[in-house]
Amino acid sequence: MTRIAQIVLSPLIAFVVGVLFLGLSRKIIARIHRRYGPPIYQPVIDMVRLMSQRSISHGALFELGVVLSVAGSFVTVLFIPLGGTEVSRELHPFAHGVLCPLCGSGGLLVVTYLMLFGPLGLALGAGASANPNASIGVSRKMLLAMAYEVPFLLVLLAVMSHYGTISFTEVVARQQQAGWGVLSVPLSAVAGFLILPAMLGIRPFDVATAPQEIASGPLAEYGGSYLALIAVQKAMHLFVVIALYVDLFLGGGVNLATFLLKMLAVFLAAEMINAVLPRLKIEDAVKFCWKWPTALALLQMIITVVSK
Amino acid sequence: MRMLPAIILVFAFAAAGLVYLAGRVHPRLRDVLAVLSSLVLVGVIGYGHGKWDQLICVPDFLGVELSLRLNSLGWFFAVYIALINAGSIVFSLSYMKGKERLNFYYSMMLLVNAGMLGVVLSGDFLSFYIFWETMSWSTYLLISYKRGPALHAGMKYIVMSLVGSCAMLVGILSLHGHYGTLEIAQLGGLLAGASAGYIVFLLLTMGIAFGIKFAILPLHTWMPDAHSEAVSPFSAVLSGVLVRMGMYGFLLIMYSLVGVKTILELGRGAWDFHLLFSWLGALTIVIPTFIALLQDDAKRLLACHGIGQGGDLILGMAFGTSPGVAGGIFHTINHGSYIALLFLVVGAVEYRTGGVRDLNRLGGLMQRMPVAFLGCLVGIMGLIGIPLTNGFVSKWLIYKTLITEGRPFLAFMAFVGTWGTILSVYKLLHNMFLGQLPQEYSRVEKSPLSMQIPILFLCFVIFLFGILPGIPLRAIQGVQREMGFAPLELTLWGLASDVGALNMLNICVALVTAFAVVFLVMRVGPKGRRVAQDDSYAAGAYVPVDRYHHSVEFYNPLYRMISPYLKDRVDEFYYWIADRASGLFDIVRRMYTGYAGTYVLYIVAFLAFLILVQLVWQVW
Repeated sequence: MTRIAQIVLSPLIAFVVGVLFLGLSRKIIARIHRRYGPPIYQPVIDMVRLMSQRSISHGALFELGVVLSVAGSFVTVLFIPLGGTEVSRELHPFAHGVLCPLCGSGGLLVVTYLMLFGPLGLALGAGASANPNASIGVSRKMLLAMAYEVPFLLVLLAVMSHYGTISFTEVVARQQQAGWGVLSVPLSAVAGFLILPAMLGIRPFDVATAPQEIASGPLAEYGGSYLALIAVQKAMHLFVVIALYVDLFLGGGVNLATFLLKMLAVFLAAEMINAVLPRLKIEDAVKFCWKWPTALALLQMIITVVSK
Repeated sequence: MRMLPAIILVFAFAAAGLVYLAGRVHPRLRDVLAVLSSLVLVGVIGYGHGKWDQLICVPDFLGVELSLRLNSLGWFFAVYIALINAGSIVFSLSYMKGKERLNFYYSMMLLVNAGMLGVVLSGDFLSFYIFWETMSWSTYLLISYKRGPALHAGMKYIVMSLVGSCAMLVGILSLHGHYGTLEIAQLGGLLAGASAGYIVFLLLTMGIAFGIKFAILPLHTWMPDAHSEAVSPFSAVLSGVLVRMGMYGFLLIMYSLVGVKTILELGRGAWDFHLLFSWLGALTIVIPTFIALLQDDAKRLLACHGIGQGGDLILGMAFGTSPGVAGGIFHTINHGSYIALLFLVVGAVEYRTGGVRDLNRLGGLMQRMPVAFLGCLVGIMGLIGIPLTNGFVSKWLIYKTLITEGRPFLAFMAFVGTWGTILSVYKLLHNMFLGQLPQEYSRVEKSPLSMQIPILFLCFVIFLFGILPGIPLRAIQGVQREMGFAPLELTLWGLASDVGALNMLNICVALVTAFAVVFLVMRVGPKGRRVAQDDSYAAGAYVPVDRYHHSVEFYNPLYRMISPYLKDRVDEFYYWIADRASGLFDIVRRMYTGYAGTYVLYIVAFLAFLILVQLVWQVW
């Protein structure tokens, strides 16, 4: 029973927090730019408005691609621990059991592969139209993904071999016992933070959906309820990536509240970068990802393997 | 049913001959016979499950016993060979229609099939070698079926294959010299006391033969050429099963013949066999996968992936752990299913567009060929290893092994290979099926039924084994028990192990439910207005209707970064050797002058040499 409640609850939490973060992002950037900015609930207003508008459609794949993409992000959340602890429960009065409904069905490897559904669905949907901008956007997205996956996989492998497990809950539990990942695999944590904007697709790495260059790339043809769903996907993806960072390096959370607070901290740090840096060219983005983050992650992995 | 393996082989070889004769009578009869016999073979082999036995066919053939056997490893491969072959013969019905020398083609397809079945059913190394050669030579004939440049590709294949056969023969002869028998089951016991040096020698000689079939780096160079020249249904067989006979060979010598225990001990000596073998596997993944990124010929691209995925198999079986070897064997059939599917899809596109498989000239075919599109989508999902496809489960097993065995660098190579795969197969899908449909293909028809059936069947298999991996894994468990591995903790929908469980059924239910919910939410809003595909928004710029598909140099920035590093030096090196060798042969040829006097001179000189030897060293 609690499991079913969790299965309903965790995507809902992800959805609410993700949308909130989207609104917060606009507000923060506006304040850094010395503007007033829209209200925090502006994304909600936009989604409701979009749901009532009529879009064009290029056929079944055009629509199902979006559905696949959003469904994939919702399912990914079910495999990520969203706070809670089994190890230090008696020390914390507000601690609760691990909130991760499907962690027993697959670990970190499953998460990395489930994260493919989002971009794949969107790419398929965009491909159903004959818009060349969409194809350019997808091509850039693929390249950028290749660029950040190299350091990201090194980071993941360093964490997995440091803790000697591929189970996600185990990784979090070990951090709660023996100190956060940011202390035991520090270089990986730095590398992970450096590629965070690329994984989120925010500036300076918003090459795939660059509005001024390629008319928002894969999103160019979408409107109405499709665009609303794509916004939901963006919110969910934001949540997933930041939650992943918190779980890998900041020890998760003893309860949901601390988990979300840590997420907020990571999110704010990423937004600071988003607000001030201009967009990179795709070549430079690839080169950046393959230089510093990769070097740091590789160094950490060598250290981890040698010290074992 | 002791006779079962013999019945299977007699039937398979007879079918190859009969089909040729039937073609002489009537082409229709030949087609029916080819399809029927390949399907009957699947049935008969399926019936043989669990009836493990050994049968001595010829008690004394030049002093060696020839025997056939049916065991779980052989059965597993036999089913898989027969299935893929049946699929591609059905596919051939329309693909090959109207082409020349069809009697020969069908007969050879069945002969390759028979040869492969012989390899996996043979109980001693001499019959193994005979069937192995049957398979190699009929493959050679099929690769060069189209003549012209295909002859060159076929020649390259057979030369490399012969080098391998010679190496294997050396191994087999030394086995016979040492132990006086060639029977695999007996040798397994005898080899337990062999020295590590001899084991390595065996692994090396046999490994060269299997490695060439398997297309391990640096023995892979025949494969891209062979694929781009062979006809598509045969490419499916070639890449799906024939190449994997190398995998069968490795499993046979490493775990049936030499044994797990001895293999594990090889990891401890002065040089680590596992490390060497697995790094070879890792390079086999990464380099061809990135070469695939640069290809514009659909079949060449797939051929490179055929090589690359072989690396995953090696990583799986190199360490001799139970989940790793299970993953390796499982990945063999998975890879066979989706690479065959992708070759069939490319074949279907080729068939409908008049032989075009240049990725820069296609596009938008999704609207015209929906089944082929579905096949391509499922195929690339399997190749990438997206959850719910069979490729995910086997890759998961392999990666898990690498991580828990403490080999993160190997795992990293495998992961990077996966990402290279994602990029290049998305390009395959996009450039063929998505984006703008060029006007010349606007009247292309959907693929014929005989192409749709194998495509849909393979799609079904990919999802079935992906969602309920317990079905094939249970058969693999039998194979592993035979080899002496600890059994995996299996369930029908995944694995229940202490280091990380996997439950594909839960993942599937979650995805399907989420899909349904999101779909309903989307339906709340007004339904989209259907517009023509090229009625698109380009921010005020003019988009020409016919040809503005972003496909040429799809990953241009990356090409510029990686292409200088990705020359196939190995191939160049082999060609250099071949050039030198043909120069040497030319000199040898000059010895044959055609004058009797010269030959008499040679004889006299040779006798003089013998006399000199006798005088100086007193040999006789």
